[in-house]
Amino acid sequence: MIDTTLQDALRKKEIWAIGGGKGGIGKSIITGNIGIYLARLKKKVLMVDADLGGANLHTTLGIDVPNVTLSDFLNRRVDTIQDVIIKTSIPNLSLISGAQDFLDAANPNFAQKTRLLRHLETLDADYILLDLGAGTSFNILDFFLFSDYGILVVLPEPTAIENTYRFIKSAFYRRFKRVVTNQGIRDLIDAAMDQKNSMGIRTPYELIEHVKQMEQEVGEILELEVLKFKPKLIVNQVRTKNDIQIGFAMKSACQKYFGIDLEYLGYVEYDDCVWQSIRSKRPLAVEYPYSRPSRCIERIVHNLLKKEQLSLNVLY
Amino acid sequence: MIKKIINLNYYELLEVSPAATKQEIHKAYERIRRVYEPNSIALYSLFTPEESAAMQQRIEEAYRTLVYEDNRKRYDASLRARNRLEGESAPPLQPKFQPQVVQPAFSLPSENRYLGSAAPASQPLKQVPPEPPQEKATPVDNLIAEFTGPAIKILREQRGFTIRNIADITKVGSRYLEYIETESFNKLPQRPYLRGFLAIYAKALGCNPERMVSDFIKRYDAAVSQKQK
Repeated sequence: MIDTTLQDALRKKEIWAIGGGKGGIGKSIITGNIGIYLARLKKKVLMVDADLGGANLHTTLGIDVPNVTLSDFLNRRVDTIQDVIIKTSIPNLSLISGAQDFLDAANPNFAQKTRLLRHLETLDADYILLDLGAGTSFNILDFFLFSDYGILVVLPEPTAIENTYRFIKSAFYRRFKRVVTNQGIRDLIDAAMDQKNSMGIRTPYELIEHVKQMEQEVGEILELEVLKFKPKLIVNQVRTKNDIQIGFAMKSACQKYFGIDLEYLGYVEYDDCVWQSIRSKRPLAVEYPYSRPSRCIERIVHNLLKKEQLSLNVLY
Repeated sequence: MIKKIINLNYYELLEVSPAATKQEIHKAYERIRRVYEPNSIALYSLFTPEESAAMQQRIEEAYRTLVYEDNRKRYDASLRARNRLEGESAPPLQPKFQPQVVQPAFSLPSENRYLGSAAPASQPLKQVPPEPPQEKATPVDNLIAEFTGPAIKILREQRGFTIRNIADITKVGSRYLEYIETESFNKLPQRPYLRGFLAIYAKALGCNPERMVSDFIKRYDAAVSQKQK
């Protein structure tokens, strides 16, 4: 169990974004249950369903389709973001749902997006969890980069792993573009995002080398950005010890290929009870608090609060 | 700052500290080799088959260099030389490296914290090999009451070594290692040879050779004298 000494881990508000290229890998379920565990530690938690156009965070929490949603805020049907927050049956846990939004909600314009992010920063909460959608669209990447901590969920399957690397790469280049003002270099970054570009830039390292040749200083700034970018990783639906190993392998590959420090937060074991809890529309942490997946998520919350990561010892 | 894969030195490649012991290097090699297997799904879409084949080859190279003491000493020297060359333009201060003392633990595998230092280096920037550390006996773990054959076997398994690995490292025949572990005293060689085997085996396991030798020889003598009676 998580001990109470953790509770004074941090008083400052933190925004966590949970994403990871592929759909159906358990982002919403993990977000929902992390939220519940945080709320049980007497943290004020606000969950935001930022999966615009495919929202179902409310369902993983067992809440019926709410009256007010994020699109009411985006379309200015309400004045402040406070008006779209709904209380859940769990103390300290509230939700901004994205359900039943207008069909165009998946593509908020720039003004809507910045307004949302600005308002989020004013809210009174210890933790704000952003549940991101699938894919690597600019909206998703921007939410991911805006947050204090970006968490990636991956399954031990080639499809999910492929999308995770794609997500990291896209987020990376988008972050690069935000810090660079020189148009020539911006064009270079755009060109580098095309994997088959004519300059032969395949890794971020090669891109930085190229940029350095154009402008030494900008190259150094980008290098700093690489060091600051520290996404976290959760491996979901783990069935064997080898699946756990995949997290460490991805960490090593990211270090060598991208030069970034991927933090391996933990894994969630595969169990039918997750599926059963979804079917019964009750959150896993409430329905099966002592199941193995619940324990795993608890451990992840523990690691998140203590700013720790999984060590290789779990394998031996 | 960020290094291209081909520019990583062998320690960075295997993700061990330059002060890593033989066992740590072996363990890290086993792990890293599995990570960069050509079919490894964790690398899916990141590396091409040619790249991972090249990587595999470099990992083998790194292991073969670091696991043999002579090769490693030569490699460390060349790394230091290269570092000095590069460091000439930079401030001449060489950071003093503190070799880590590894405390072998006689505990259950699940709580084996011994391999903590083999974890991927969080600060990959300071990968300069240390000056060769002074020969120093590793502290013996008091939890081991007596080094009996089975105890040695458990210790070896905890470290993740097979008999074969130990035979490769120590150059002691695997037969004799097995006889030591099963305490087949009548099949073991004469006392002086046995002492040598035990000492080298103890070193490979990272425990105090003196204690392991004296404990085991005591048992050997007892068994032999009983037989003579």
